[in-house]
Amino acid sequence: MKLQFNINKSLSLRIAVYVLSFCMLLFLLVLLVFFFFSRKQIEEMTLKNAQIITNKSAMDVERTILPIIHVAQNYKWMLENKQQSSEELYEMTRRVVENNPDVIGSAIAFEPNFFDKEGLYFSPYSHRENDSIKSMQLGNASYNYFYMDWYQIPVATGKSSWCEPYHDTGGGNVLMTTYSTPFYKTVNNEKKIAGVITFDLSLNKFTDSVSSLKILETGYATVLSANGTFVTHPKEELIMNQTIFSYAAELNNSELREIGRKIQKENSGYVSSTLNGVERMLYFKKLSSSNWSIAVIFPKSEMYLPLHRISIILIVLVCIGLLLLTVIVSKIISRQIIPLRHFASSAREIAKGNFSNQLPVIKREDELKDLHDSFEYMQRKLTLYIEDLKQTAIAKEKIESELRIAREIQMGMIPKIFPPFPNLVEIDLYATLQPAKEVGGDLYDFFMLDDNHICFAIGDVSGKGVPASLFMAVTRTLLRSVAHDQMTPRNIVNSLNKSLSTNNDSNMFVTFFLGIIELDSGIMTYTNAGHNPPVLIHPNGEVIVFDMTKDIPVGIFDTFDYSEKTLQLLENDKLFLYTDGVTEAENKKEEFYSEKRLITTLCNHYRLTPKELIGIVSEDVAQHVNKNEQSDDITMFSIVYYGNKR
Amino acid sequence: MNITFETKSNCTVIHLTGRIDVTNSNDFETALIPILGDHRYSFLINCAELNYISSSGLRVFLLAQKKVMAARGHLFLCCMQPMIREIFDISGLSTIFDIRESEEEVLQQAD
Repeated sequence: MKLQFNINKSLSLRIAVYVLSFCMLLFLLVLLVFFFFSRKQIEEMTLKNAQIITNKSAMDVERTILPIIHVAQNYKWMLENKQQSSEELYEMTRRVVENNPDVIGSAIAFEPNFFDKEGLYFSPYSHRENDSIKSMQLGNASYNYFYMDWYQIPVATGKSSWCEPYHDTGGGNVLMTTYSTPFYKTVNNEKKIAGVITFDLSLNKFTDSVSSLKILETGYATVLSANGTFVTHPKEELIMNQTIFSYAAELNNSELREIGRKIQKENSGYVSSTLNGVERMLYFKKLSSSNWSIAVIFPKSEMYLPLHRISIILIVLVCIGLLLLTVIVSKIISRQIIPLRHFASSAREIAKGNFSNQLPVIKREDELKDLHDSFEYMQRKLTLYIEDLKQTAIAKEKIESELRIAREIQMGMIPKIFPPFPNLVEIDLYATLQPAKEVGGDLYDFFMLDDNHICFAIGDVSGKGVPASLFMAVTRTLLRSVAHDQMTPRNIVNSLNKSLSTNNDSNMFVTFFLGIIELDSGIMTYTNAGHNPPVLIHPNGEVIVFDMTKDIPVGIFDTFDYSEKTLQLLENDKLFLYTDGVTEAENKKEEFYSEKRLITTLCNHYRLTPKELIGIVSEDVAQHVNKNEQSDDITMFSIVYYGNKR
Repeated sequence: MNITFETKSNCTVIHLTGRIDVTNSNDFETALIPILGDHRYSFLINCAELNYISSSGLRVFLLAQKKVMAARGHLFLCCMQPMIREIFDISGLSTIFDIRESEEEVLQQAD
């Protein structure tokens, strides 16, 4: 499968990316924790290491120095408790140089005039020169040793001291220091200072060992004398020329000065500081035999270098791992969801109407199997449903075609040719019937009873649709069969009512208006069986609504006796009959067209012929309804009497 | 359309709400007619909240009237809105129904 890089289109890749993101987060968290603890560990370990190195160096130094101090103690005891000749004193100085390779020179310097026979200055001195040892008397007028530091300080303090390091002027570039200790004699029961024993020590071995110390990449060790002079330092120009304080002043670094003070004051300790723009760690320790200090300094960043290296390797490895994971997860998932693609194409096929389309085979018992079963169920149901729908459609079509035929039959039952009696000059009439459904329950009819009498009727069956249309058909057929000459409207309606009421189990009824006009006299007799009162329009524009009837609709009680009324029509009097479909035509706000609006329309167009008048009312009703669904059959009938033309 | 029944003294009062037209006249018929088989002497249909009635609805009223009459009971109608009353008047049906102004008037008589 080709890996699709459009995340939105590939479920497998999307899941893989989610997994990857989660793993990445997890890894980052682990890395951070690892990093944090490792740093702490490394910090502790490095400091411990620095401490160990420093202590070892300090011990090395002590090991060199301690024997010298023991020799000094021995000589002191000998000088204080025994009397030596000047030769013996020379011999003592010679022996100590001979036996201690680190000792370059040794002197026993006496107080002025203390050693009777030798005068003001007496200081036997032996020193190593090339490979031999030479002895001499050190003091004279030009070398007045009484004022030298190595003599003056022990005499004044009464304590042993190490002098500041110095370069030996005679023996080449040898860095030296001198250890001096005072000794006393008892004269006249009084302990008096007698002189000073000195040993000159080469520092070369010591500085070499300290200089060779290497901590991390660029870390180093340094030794500071009691007053802060650099005894060793990787920068050679600092050695013996600068103290830590003068160096701090030169760099204008107050922090370094503080460090110097701390080193002088304390026996050992850590300092973390920024020196020369790099954050560094420093550990120092004071030598126990002197006031000198040894310190190791290393950049902090180097401390973490191995950690950084490991971290980078770790990140690279994990990135590769995660990438592999993404690819593998995405492959696994896409293999798992191959059936989904098949389902998608199956669904598309089904949508095209191909319900028998083969579904992908699922052998597992998981969610995909569920999907498969649902799909199968849907296929089956759809097939059944569509089959059902087809049957329904066929049935519906059949009913519709039957209704169409029924409508044609129904419409065929009412007269629709206008003018119906072209030779009849006394009247003109027009009528329309618009069923709300295919077939309706309204009816109108008109026919000549004889040459001089025209009978007309309008009716509205209760309800709508097929039942109403059947009842309408029965009514219309009965009307034609019962009405014949010599009959009055009352006779006709009574007869009609009797026939319709008998066996009328459904209790349907029809509101019915029937009138007969005698053409030569203009006398109209009529019966209104519960129908909307018709409207009489005089040629002068006067509009009169008929009185409401007391007679009930036809078809309710077979014994009901209907009444009859008479009206004299004048020349050009016009009648307008309608069913409640006109006045109860509703718009979308459920407002009726209303009788009031009908009367107003009739008043406004009183001059029009029946056909024109019905056309105008139809238009007005349509305007009111405004495309709302027609709820009831609409029927209108109008007849005008032109007067006796015979 | 909504139809509810209650019994007051020995008269079953039927309350009609909303419209009765061709779409729900069958529901109205199946809800109303079986009640009238009950051996109650009087039935009262309160039309106070009836807003519209079509000829299909009138047919059910007629059916009710005939059934009550056959059982020698009495059917009253009351509290009609003017428009409903007009429909009954136009169709002449007010002559065959006992239409009253208020419910109390009917209940007093039914006692």
